[in-house]
Amino acid sequence: MTELDLSIETERRGRPVPSRRRRGRRGAVTAGLLSGPVSYLLVFFVVPVVMVACYSVGLLTLLPQDHYLSLRAWHDFLFGSIYMGVFWKSVRMSLGVSITSVLLAYPVAYLLALVAGRRKYTLLLVIVAPFLTSYLLRVLAWRVILGEQGVVNSFLKLVGIAPQGWLFYSQFAVYLVLAYVWVPFVALPIFVSLEALDLSLLEASNDLGASRWTTFRRVTLPLSMPGVIAAFVFVFIPTLGEYVTPLLVGGPKGFMFGNGIQNAFLQGFDWQFGSAMSMFLIGAVMVLMAVFGRFVSFRSVSE
Amino acid sequence: MNPAVSRGGRRSLWIFFALLVVFLYAPILILIVFSFNDRTFVSFPWQGFTFRWYREFVHNSALLGALRTSALVATLTSVVTVVLAIPASILLVRRRFFAKGAVSGLLLAPLVIPLVVFGIALLILFNTVGIPLSPLTVAIGHIVIALPFAILTMVPRLERISVSLEEASRDLGAGPLRTFRSITLPLLAPAVLSAFLIVFTISFDEVVVASFIAGDQPTFPLYLFSQLRLPQRLPQVIAVAVVVMTVSSIVVIASEVGRRLADRRLERVANLQQEVSAG
Amino acid sequence: MSDPTTRATDAAISLQEVRKSFGRVVAVGGISLDIADGEFLTLLGPSGCGKTTTMRMIAGFEEPDEGRILLRGRDVVGVPPNKRDVNMCFQHYALFPHMSVQENVEYGLKLRKVPREERRRRVAEMLEVVRLEGFEKRKPAQLSGGQQQRVALARALVNRPTALLLDEPLGALDVKLRKQMQLELKRIQHELGTTFVYVTHDQEEALSMSDRIAVVNQGLIEQVGRPRDVYERPATPFVADFVGVLNALEVRADEVRDGRVVVRISDRERLVVPTGDRPVSAGTELLVAVRPERVWLRAPADETSADSRLEGTVRQVVYLGTLTQFYVDTTLGARLVVHELSDRRASGFVAEDRVVLTWDAEDAAILRVE
Repeated sequence: MTELDLSIETERRGRPVPSRRRRGRRGAVTAGLLSGPVSYLLVFFVVPVVMVACYSVGLLTLLPQDHYLSLRAWHDFLFGSIYMGVFWKSVRMSLGVSITSVLLAYPVAYLLALVAGRRKYTLLLVIVAPFLTSYLLRVLAWRVILGEQGVVNSFLKLVGIAPQGWLFYSQFAVYLVLAYVWVPFVALPIFVSLEALDLSLLEASNDLGASRWTTFRRVTLPLSMPGVIAAFVFVFIPTLGEYVTPLLVGGPKGFMFGNGIQNAFLQGFDWQFGSAMSMFLIGAVMVLMAVFGRFVSFRSVSE
Repeated sequence: MNPAVSRGGRRSLWIFFALLVVFLYAPILILIVFSFNDRTFVSFPWQGFTFRWYREFVHNSALLGALRTSALVATLTSVVTVVLAIPASILLVRRRFFAKGAVSGLLLAPLVIPLVVFGIALLILFNTVGIPLSPLTVAIGHIVIALPFAILTMVPRLERISVSLEEASRDLGAGPLRTFRSITLPLLAPAVLSAFLIVFTISFDEVVVASFIAGDQPTFPLYLFSQLRLPQRLPQVIAVAVVVMTVSSIVVIASEVGRRLADRRLERVANLQQEVSAG
Repeated sequence: MSDPTTRATDAAISLQEVRKSFGRVVAVGGISLDIADGEFLTLLGPSGCGKTTTMRMIAGFEEPDEGRILLRGRDVVGVPPNKRDVNMCFQHYALFPHMSVQENVEYGLKLRKVPREERRRRVAEMLEVVRLEGFEKRKPAQLSGGQQQRVALARALVNRPTALLLDEPLGALDVKLRKQMQLELKRIQHELGTTFVYVTHDQEEALSMSDRIAVVNQGLIEQVGRPRDVYERPATPFVADFVGVLNALEVRADEVRDGRVVVRISDRERLVVPTGDRPVSAGTELLVAVRPERVWLRAPADETSADSRLEGTVRQVVYLGTLTQFYVDTTLGARLVVHELSDRRASGFVAEDRVVLTWDAEDAAILRVE
């Protein structure tokens, strides 16, 4: 009887179940190994963010004696300031950038995944490679190109056309540069979801009478949607808090929420206000992650 | 016949692809071309080919100092990040444990936090506790940002290393530490290297968080920022940019090729295993 | 060679001198075949023989380099698959994972703008035929392999195509389920009267289900015929070997008399086989074949009036439940396989026993004349 019971336990999940003492020790080892990264993040990630939250409600202040619990900053931010407007503008711009990036990347991902054959991975690298070079330098390149004394305008001057002001320090510039930055990145999750498509599904759709366009609409597109949504989310969330690009090529017209936060802190010195803005942004990001998080799988993020 | 595209569709897609590649690489190429333009403004007309800007930046001590600072920060960041990421990755892949979901959420959370907010949060932390700003504080921030990337680089590779390899090692008498040293770590090495390079690149290039917590010694991106107000410095900046991009491209390509080769070797082992177990 | 244009166009599908190469590899080397309306025809052959390529050409996923493909008399070479009136049942089912069973099955109908009520009715009808009533709302992921198979079938058949093409549809199922599905497929085909073109490498499957079998080897059809004909009168050595187990003996004719060839092996052994219509005379080298179940095992001392006698030693006995296999080394040097029903009449021989193999002349056939 006892022999039978033992073998059942051993066979469970195909690996031996350790004795209780061993399990306890393994638990301790696990905890020990995790303690490094986890405690590091607790101290240098969770705590600072909590401190920002405290600042936003006055629990902490620049001058230690000044603190008192108040929602003044929140009130000012939500109801009194132009920054809410800036936030919605950032939302609109992020939406625009995300949609543009996805629209530009999808045909390329489609081509590589379904048409390109053996060269697909090399060509994919060609598309993705720019993302792996310096973000700052790529934005800089556009600044150099779009600027009033930059490449494009000096060329126009050479051929006798007036310099185009809207190219630079404008919303257009921000859109263009951000789309430029993100398209290589966005191509990847879309490619992955298209590559995973079983080609015989497309053949079956064809066989049953659908044209290629109908097959795309009713089979390919719906099945690649998870990849598309993941890509969209990957762009949308960081772009909400985008700061460098608007600063370098956006000017006052391309001013975004991230710049607003930086302003509040380093120019305005109203740390409470800035913290409220920061917490608001974090809140927005968390809401988005809660809604769309399930599309973002481990696989689609790690190349 | 290809059920995915028609002949006309195929042509249009390739044209689109070509245009997109041009769009993606043109700015970089323009930068490279104009870095040799003998003109103090980065613009037309072309005034002659020169290496002048490259020579000038080599003598720019502030610039070189910033490069050194960035290299220092990036190295420190990479080492610490990888050291922290290895145990985390192994545990995420191999073990089940209490609150695993929450822990993996925490480890990956830095991916979604807006960098502006994080930079400010760290500024507040250092300010409140009284830590002076320096390259060290920059590294501290970079480690947080880079940790998820390191983990995400190592996890897939770990998943490909079959558990039975480690079990065989244990079966033959090796303890967990020995198994890790002799089996897991060597097989993980390409991913560790990749992670190192990725983290290095991220840290070297990072500007947002650094702009808040850098203190007196600017990192290279911060130096670039400061020079942007001076258009006559721009050609030098461009020259440096070109050099940095070239170096990083070569590194990226080399590491990608290396990773593919290593993966293929692992696959062959895995296939062999499958054949054996299928009898 | 009859004029192709006058060939009977009541054939549902007609392949005429169809050839296809991939680069330098000739996949299909010149296949001509007429498939009758309502017929269950199987393309049987080993992997890589060209049977799947042929089927895909009928469906329209590959185009032949030469030759014509007629569907009900109309040449469809160049016509894309969605405009051909044949439907395919794919090897791994290819069910649309994001659609329910209902949506999958009605996919073709919807494209043909069939109104909703009629769609619903026809889907329900077809699900009944494949015995999946009530499964309309399920998703493919919730179905077992056999059920997915039947949905794929329903999806193709609901469009009432000229012919249904089945590409090794039962390969992914376990043995028992496969046998059940074979009967199901036969029943459905009978009920609907649709022409079925079936591709498989499993000769048992082909034998049990088909009205006719076309044995394909290296891009060419070696024999087309009813299962019994293909099995009992194989036209080539390949067919004889591929369909069923083959016993082949290389011998030289000693005498030809009364339409039979006599081969004297020793004073107690000989072989007798009908000439068929082969040109045989004394001295001709022959390849003679006899099916394992037609051979009898006897003890050397037994008297027998059988036409052919061959002596040998049992090397191995394999018990397979219904039948027992004996591997016997003969004095001719060849190893023969003998099948015996494992019943009361079993001979009881074991390894190392000396035996005599006997069979009647009509049970053997000449495969090849050198």
